[in-house]
Amino acid sequence: MFPLDSLRMKRRTFLSEAGIGLGAAALSVLLGRDLAATAPAEKRRLMRGLPGLPHFPPRVKRVIFLYMAGGPSHLETFDYKPELERLDGKPMPESFTRGQPIAQLQGQRLKILRPLTKFARHGKNGQWISDFLPYHAKIADDICILRSMVTEQINHDPAHTFMNTGTAISGRPSMGSWILYGLGAECDDLPGFVVLTSVGGRDPQPIASRQWSAGFLPSRFQGVEFNSTGDPVHYIHPPRGVSSAQQERLVQAVAQLDRHHNRLLANPEIESRVAAYETAFRMQTAVPELMDMSSEPQHVLDLYGARPGDGSFASNCLLARRLAERGVRFIQLYHRGWDHHGDLARYMRICCGLTDRPTYALLTDLKQRGLLDDTLVIWGGEFGRTPMFQGKGGPGRDHHIKGFSMWLAGGPIKGGLTYGATDDLGYNAVENVVHVHDLHATLLYLLGIDHERFTFKYQGLDMRLTGVEKARVVKEILA
Amino acid sequence: MKTSLAFCVFALLPGSVLAADQPAFRVDFNRDIRPILSDNCFACHGPDASRRKAKLRLDVRESALRKGVIVPGKPDESELVARIFSEEPGEQMPPPKANKRLTPEQKELLKRWIAEGAVYQKHWAYQTPGRPPTPAVRDTAWPANWVDRFLLARLEREELTPSPEADRVTLLRRVTFDLTGLPPTPAEVEAFLQDHSPTAWERVVDRLLGTEAYGERMAAYWLDLVRFADTVGYHGDQDQNISPYRDWVIDAFNDNMPFDRFTREQLAGDLLPGADIDQKIATGYNRLLQTSHEGGVQPKEYLAIYAADRVRNLSAVWLGGTLGCAQCHDHKYDPYTQKDFYSMAAFFADIDEAQHFRKGTNTLPTARPPEIKVLTRRERALLASLEGALHRLDAQQKNLSAESLAAQELRQRKQDVEKQRDEIRKNARLTMITVSITPRTIRVLPRGNWLDDSGPIVQPAVPEFLGSLQVGRRRATRLDLANWLVDPKDGIGLLTARVMVNRLWYLCFGQGLARVLDDFGGQGEPPSHPELLDRLAHEFVESGWDIKHMMRLLVTSRAYRQRSAADSALRQRDPENRLLARQAAFRLPAEMIRDNALAISGLLVHRLGGPSVKPYQPEGYYRHLNFPKRTYQHDTDERQWRRGVYVHWQRQYLHPMLKAFDAPSREECTAQRPRSNTPLAALVLLNDPSFLEAARVFAERILREGGDTTETRLHYAFRRALSRLPDAQEQKLLTELVAGYRQEYAANPGAARQLIATGQAPVAADLNAAEWAAWTGVARTILNLSETNTRE
Repeated sequence: MFPLDSLRMKRRTFLSEAGIGLGAAALSVLLGRDLAATAPAEKRRLMRGLPGLPHFPPRVKRVIFLYMAGGPSHLETFDYKPELERLDGKPMPESFTRGQPIAQLQGQRLKILRPLTKFARHGKNGQWISDFLPYHAKIADDICILRSMVTEQINHDPAHTFMNTGTAISGRPSMGSWILYGLGAECDDLPGFVVLTSVGGRDPQPIASRQWSAGFLPSRFQGVEFNSTGDPVHYIHPPRGVSSAQQERLVQAVAQLDRHHNRLLANPEIESRVAAYETAFRMQTAVPELMDMSSEPQHVLDLYGARPGDGSFASNCLLARRLAERGVRFIQLYHRGWDHHGDLARYMRICCGLTDRPTYALLTDLKQRGLLDDTLVIWGGEFGRTPMFQGKGGPGRDHHIKGFSMWLAGGPIKGGLTYGATDDLGYNAVENVVHVHDLHATLLYLLGIDHERFTFKYQGLDMRLTGVEKARVVKEILA
Repeated sequence: MKTSLAFCVFALLPGSVLAADQPAFRVDFNRDIRPILSDNCFACHGPDASRRKAKLRLDVRESALRKGVIVPGKPDESELVARIFSEEPGEQMPPPKANKRLTPEQKELLKRWIAEGAVYQKHWAYQTPGRPPTPAVRDTAWPANWVDRFLLARLEREELTPSPEADRVTLLRRVTFDLTGLPPTPAEVEAFLQDHSPTAWERVVDRLLGTEAYGERMAAYWLDLVRFADTVGYHGDQDQNISPYRDWVIDAFNDNMPFDRFTREQLAGDLLPGADIDQKIATGYNRLLQTSHEGGVQPKEYLAIYAADRVRNLSAVWLGGTLGCAQCHDHKYDPYTQKDFYSMAAFFADIDEAQHFRKGTNTLPTARPPEIKVLTRRERALLASLEGALHRLDAQQKNLSAESLAAQELRQRKQDVEKQRDEIRKNARLTMITVSITPRTIRVLPRGNWLDDSGPIVQPAVPEFLGSLQVGRRRATRLDLANWLVDPKDGIGLLTARVMVNRLWYLCFGQGLARVLDDFGGQGEPPSHPELLDRLAHEFVESGWDIKHMMRLLVTSRAYRQRSAADSALRQRDPENRLLARQAAFRLPAEMIRDNALAISGLLVHRLGGPSVKPYQPEGYYRHLNFPKRTYQHDTDERQWRRGVYVHWQRQYLHPMLKAFDAPSREECTAQRPRSNTPLAALVLLNDPSFLEAARVFAERILREGGDTTETRLHYAFRRALSRLPDAQEQKLLTELVAGYRQEYAANPGAARQLIATGQAPVAADLNAAEWAAWTGVARTILNLSETNTRE
């Protein structure tokens, strides 16, 4: 046990001055966290959830979001459209595109582009999956493909923000922060919301740290990005020339002096400060331990195709499993490189080559360890791609928001189910449409949260992840 | 007295204790009723016509009185009362699915309010502040000025007494941080402790208000409000040219530019007759919004996004309102209409937005015309004097024969001066400004949808319920808007003043009198001392919008000088310190955390203005940025140690140190930063090279200037960092710490040398490395203390 625990003083009941301006809800979090800190060390959680949450028994405990940034083509992954084959090269009927937002194809002649690969049916239910994803074919019975996703933002940056926060306006919390705020985490030596990134494919679109920001929620709920090269977390290593034991003594000295000074001030914030230092110190051990994959047997590394420390999507998938095992609540893996305006087939081969097998491995590994039962896995990007041709280099596709595909797996998700559909040209989602807000509502529901009752007061409004419009839980995909 | 006490508690903690059964209690609409109605009812029965249910408005008395919803004086005949007390799901209000529940106390209050006649009041924030007289107090010895009398009168009513004055060291540290963002030097502490004259405090305050650091501190706050940043914010988050605007803000605070002029020049400096270079730089304000240079952005969409961004910021900064909520629909809680939103946007329709769709580039910095190349005011002054000197030298030269020794000397001097002049000219920086063009058409966008052209065209106008501009048939301009904001007679000057003085109060007391600094609307919080806030607004206007005068007034109050520690009785009685029977202790803002460590170590470079600076930053932090890709190069000269206000502000990847201490990304207006306490912040203070370098340079100082014994060295270190001496226990603990480290580093000199080599500051060869490293450990400990990083 960390020796500082023995220094812990009896805590005072208080209303924290740090809560000023954060509203009553935040205050109750602070109080909740304080109570948590008095519990025995083994059971203590760094971040307790809100009182009253979950609203009902949760079906999953944690989320792994495999975020395919850039907008993977639904028309070359999960949404097979033979009609595009037939109409290849023909003008796109104007009835589809008139008055619709459009990105790089503005003002250009719009013509139809055939699917750039073959499709086949896989699994017991015969889900359509393209040849670009041979390993996905093997997990067809585990995943539920949503072919009727819609979003509202057509450029990358706002579309990412919309997918993560439910709005394109900056300054709102990401879903991971919402969930951590509501439910807390089951680990106290790692952040409860971790982000990992990898690159490969077309010139990657930038991605802003706003995507894992806590927005108006207290900043301790922000996602923490683990870097694949350099320090895994900023400033995680003790300085050069300072041993771990020396660092520990320093942290102890700070705690003792802080408490000593505080005897006159009775400032309640001191104890949370000491706790933050304790956690920081524990992270200095826990994070390198997490990143050190030498304990993983070769056959597991082979399953993922991971070479530890290479920063690949494969290594990140393996890390995701390790994070899930350690009680991290929300794990988000970004793979950047899916923005295929041109040379789509070539770049799809690269992106799928980097992500297909590790995705299969992650699901398989989670399943073998029984973790898939209470882990929700989400796959998808910020939008899909147009049925229309774009030719930056070889044939490609532009951004598209009126219909695209994602998939879910784990917990009560009905594996093997294909849900929703786009029209014959793969343009508009027409059947069982799932809006991004519906995805959020479903996600919260699986975690035991009623999205309509899960609010935070900000600028006088009861803000929600799912916004003000009606959102629905997609119960049809749940067993 | 029991009544007022219970009453106060109720007012402070809505719903916790009800005093409505006390006979002397009278319901006050703004204080007691509006918050209940606003939070629970207005979403469906408020200003937003599109979502209004049953055609009923509860924010307007006439509507509420129709059909017997409210029958004044007769709660039992009032439908509202029947509905809120009903248990019938179909009857109950608010309806169960609204997830809103009235507490029994709230229901009783509403009933009582109707019984007392259902009197409505205009929302406090939209009523022009009155000029309340200074109240009488029993203890006439305590108040140092009239501000104190307002606070004391309330405390006396509540039967509370103010806290005693803080000790002089704490006071000096507090006021030095508050007015300059820096700690006092040991010499300043000594001088203040020695000064027993009755005006010692006022003299300190005047000294601090006269420092250049004052402008830097105030600017750091203003830059949060106006969302100043070095990068565009969206997509590639490219650099943009804007740092001269920051210099302008710092100068404006240091010159004590009146706030009305400060407002006018930022919003409309370009429209002022004969606008000079500084007034043009000031209009950089209009260019601070986030922009995107992504290929494939639709101009129409982004024009709508930019217009909304401007309206949100203007409304948050000057109106203290959330007009941004009316982008898609009428405001749900405040009387802003959607038309108001677009009419406000129309003021900015003359700003040449479209240029950057054509000219914005994926370069660093990106091109965001119109831009001009400028020198700072100081540089211009220097340039003028050098040119004067050159003229004089030219004149002298004429009287000399070309071959004479004097002429040779003169030529040499001229060359020197010319060189200096050219050096200065090289410093010229580009900065974005506002240039007015023919205004584009602004329409109301139905539901905020930029694809929909069917909405009516609007002209520039201020929100209708706040009045109108007297411009006749002429199109109103940004200058008209600015004048209206600061005109106490024909505009809303006093309302604007109230928003601003509340923020100055926040800077001096840690929270505003009205606590929600950017929402004075119905969903904000009424002020704890409304009369005081109103009176301060008048004072601000009457003083000629004199910010230094206001800051002086606040920090010379007795209330400001109270102790911040509270005993448990006071804590329980007033946990959130709404009554101000004590000062507040809070963690320093991010920039001050940095500046403080640099100041303690002696590394801090005091130099005013200039381009942004780049401290050490973890490698690879910008790897997700693209268009173009970039690597961060930290500064390798003295810029490494400049103040936090100058640090390069990358909106998408704010420096991790600033971020860990709650500095905002500046994507939107931030009037109040949270004050968090996280492991990530602890890691910064423990391991960020900037803090390690500060610690090892601080240690060097301790060794050189702190005498030869551990005791004298600890005294020196504490004086420098905490303005006091260590007590016996602190001394014991740190003595043990340094002894242990000393032994370990003596045994491992390699580690010692590594530690003392952190950063770019020179490493002296004449010090014992083990001793230095051991004291670096002590210095790090001190820099990590709560006390070091807290304003008490």
